[in-house]
Amino acid sequence: MKVLDIKNLHIKFQGDSSDFQAVKGLDLELLQGEIIGVVGESGSGKSVTALSIMRLLSSPPARVSADQMLFQYQETGAVDLLNITEKQMQKIRGRYMSMIFQEPMTSLNPVYRCGKQVAEILLRHKMVSRKNVKEKVMALFNEVLLPRPNDIYNAFPHQISGGQKQRVMIAMAIACNPKVLIADEPTTALDVTVQKSILNLLKNIREQYGISIIFISHDLGVIAEIAVRVVVMHNGLCVEKNTVHDIFRNPAHAYTKGLIACRPDMQRRLRRLPMVSDFNDASPLASASLKKVLSDEVSAEERQKWHQKIYSQPPILKVEKIGKSFEITKKAFSWRSGKFQALKDISFEVYPGETLGLVGESGCGKTTLGRTLLRLIEPSYGRIYYQEKDVTKLNSRQLRKLRKDIQIIFQDPYASLNPRITIGHAVSEPMEVHRPDLSAGQRKQKVIELLEKVGLDASFYNRYPHEFSGGQRQRIVIARTLSLNPKFIICDESVSALDVSIQAQVLNLLNKLKNEFAFTYIFISHDLSVVKFLADRIIIMKDGQIVEVGEADNLYKNPSHPYTKQLIDAIPKGL
Amino acid sequence: MLSFILKRLFYGFLVLFGVITVVFLLFNVLPGDPARMMLGQRADIASIEAINRDLGRDRPLHIQYVNYLNDISPVSYHTLDDRSSTWYLNTENYDVAWQLEFGEASVLVLKRPYLRRSYQSQRKVSDILAEAIPLTALLAFVSIAIACFLGIIIGIISALYKDSVFDRLALVISVFGMSLPSFFAAILIAWLFAFLLADYTGLSMFGSLYSIDDFGEGAYLDLKNLILPAVTLGIRPLAIVVELTRNAFLDVLSQDYIRTAKAKGLNRFGIITRHAFKNALNPIISAVSGWFASLMAGAVFVEYVFDWKGLGVIMVDGLEQFDFPVVMGTLLFISVVLVLINILVDIIYGFLDPRVRLQ
Repeated sequence: MKVLDIKNLHIKFQGDSSDFQAVKGLDLELLQGEIIGVVGESGSGKSVTALSIMRLLSSPPARVSADQMLFQYQETGAVDLLNITEKQMQKIRGRYMSMIFQEPMTSLNPVYRCGKQVAEILLRHKMVSRKNVKEKVMALFNEVLLPRPNDIYNAFPHQISGGQKQRVMIAMAIACNPKVLIADEPTTALDVTVQKSILNLLKNIREQYGISIIFISHDLGVIAEIAVRVVVMHNGLCVEKNTVHDIFRNPAHAYTKGLIACRPDMQRRLRRLPMVSDFNDASPLASASLKKVLSDEVSAEERQKWHQKIYSQPPILKVEKIGKSFEITKKAFSWRSGKFQALKDISFEVYPGETLGLVGESGCGKTTLGRTLLRLIEPSYGRIYYQEKDVTKLNSRQLRKLRKDIQIIFQDPYASLNPRITIGHAVSEPMEVHRPDLSAGQRKQKVIELLEKVGLDASFYNRYPHEFSGGQRQRIVIARTLSLNPKFIICDESVSALDVSIQAQVLNLLNKLKNEFAFTYIFISHDLSVVKFLADRIIIMKDGQIVEVGEADNLYKNPSHPYTKQLIDAIPKGL
Repeated sequence: MLSFILKRLFYGFLVLFGVITVVFLLFNVLPGDPARMMLGQRADIASIEAINRDLGRDRPLHIQYVNYLNDISPVSYHTLDDRSSTWYLNTENYDVAWQLEFGEASVLVLKRPYLRRSYQSQRKVSDILAEAIPLTALLAFVSIAIACFLGIIIGIISALYKDSVFDRLALVISVFGMSLPSFFAAILIAWLFAFLLADYTGLSMFGSLYSIDDFGEGAYLDLKNLILPAVTLGIRPLAIVVELTRNAFLDVLSQDYIRTAKAKGLNRFGIITRHAFKNALNPIISAVSGWFASLMAGAVFVEYVFDWKGLGVIMVDGLEQFDFPVVMGTLLFISVVLVLINILVDIIYGFLDPRVRLQ
């Protein structure tokens, strides 16, 4: 039975000067009790489609039209969601159709306790009486496997972790036993291990309640873990629709092929990641070069030789038993403050030319560690030597020189560019501080060179950050980093906020720059598959400590620590 | 939280100390002689010196300063033997709650802060303040209440019907209200409602909370005199509350959790009252409390125009007459109010937004 039957969906956003067509004639049907995956990169129209089904798009500017959008919410009959009043829709939302959003951090109201927020939906749709509501919420919390449900009932959203928030959201979504559950990138903001448990939870819920689920993601690997059928969206169109199995075995559309290929392969080590654009061109020349990309692996011998070369040198950076603890206040109305040990006795070395991967879940201290190396955060104890000099003893002038040598690329390309400063100015700014010897003309020349080096056009010089996509912005940030000719670059989750297809582009760029400039990298990420593609060695961190260090391929093949095994196990494998 | 409050109280104490020191120095550096002000132009040297001795102004500045601090401190040191000394414990001036005698004629005293006596009327400053404070507090409270009540309602409607005629009109009027100087508004409103339209409104241009009955019945409460000054004083806070409420609401309404609330199937009313309102309150509270504090500080112009005998009028009169104790007492009181309101607001934040509580 078709629970949802959408024919020829069009969504248009009216702008001041021109309209933007976000979805152009999408057909989508959802059967009773199935999980359908919708995949596509940001801007493909997948989230907008989801919101239009819930009628959550505000109009204007959005204009939704379709031949039909039938929703079989009761056994007896279906309604066309586009033809009912807002009042009727309010009775359907949350009761027969519910939604989980991408950002668990901001999707819960910060000023109410979690329990109350779940209770609200039950009371709104009169599922239970006020007297029994707490009992029912607790049962739901148990259902979604929240630990200590009683504490979480009384906790405010900021007091629980991201994964727990998403579980609260899921509890809210299944509270009224709806027909359809729409999950819009529910695991994108979460760690891989948490992602895995959330996916399992959704699968169990479908089995238990027979809820039909629309699962939206930019990552085909994740979709493959959960969905049976997949809809591939690109530029507002459905380019391919098939079972997961067939999509992975025989992708028909070039875009699908690209999406599958651009995720770093855990088994093989390609020299360059294929990109979606490589597949778009069907000419013989292009397909020949694609073939080359797909077969160009880095051999084990080559890697061995390279490692012999870099590890025979003295280390460029040596970290000796550093630690960091933060003061935290425990309770309101209390004098005592506790200490949170973010880093415990960390020691490691980095060799010139090496790429060192640093992997761990959020909260493991990897970002703190990266910042401590530059003394953006002061370590509580321990020593850091950079080229034999003790970083912990530098004065502020020497420190400034160090920060010219070691650069950080941060996670969020949206937040790390000032919206009021042009791209050209942003890239040349570090030079103004550190290279006063250059004239304005020389600086501009250098900026244009750098922009071209990272694959951007020189004409972007006078444009502002909001005109660029996430991937382009990350390139701009990289160009800014390069402007000081650093020797050492720390990438702090630099590709985590990007779609897989764009992630591939940035990873290729980082790899290319490394070969060109002989950089040393520390690459921090929660995603082992990304780190493995770049890294020579990998450090696994947990709770502020190093649990395992090893050569990248080796560590992946023969993990010794159970936590490493768990991390590897949680990576979505695709098929 | 407790340590936070104590810390804030300590900072507040420092602020008060700074205010006292600066104003004390200013009064002693500025030209002007209270003795002459009291006795007039033709006073002879002897009586001027006598008054100066009475006021303790013949002593070195630092002694005067310590003496003054001793007087306003709740715990203080005094002597019992020498009546002419400024350290003498004169029970006409000091409200002693508890005392501990030691040595020959020394005493440690727990008392109400003694703000001295007005140079002009010889009345205790605390008595003068006690009369003025309720007047100003009532005026400030009523005008803030008007501003909040109307402002929040108008602001919410503006946010919900963004870009509608109502919204635009509200914006234009609030910009106008914000930029209207209060002394001008006061005169304008007094002229319009208590002169031109006096026959219809029945309001008078001047008048305090209590009027004196002409037929010897004494003072009586005259609440209608409150209307015009309160409205005048409320204009600017009202304009600001409208703007703030509108912006805070627009900001909150675009948040993800509002979308979640919609996805739960809540209706518009539930979303606004339950999910948006509490989140939008923080900026409004901080603005309103700031305004309340500064209105308490005496809406000098408005009080003057309407002849409302509040703190503002007292302070300006005191300044004109070089009446140091009165000015100092008023300033001290205002500073204490500002400090306390700020602490109170921080506590309210904690109740409204649980995220603030932990820091």
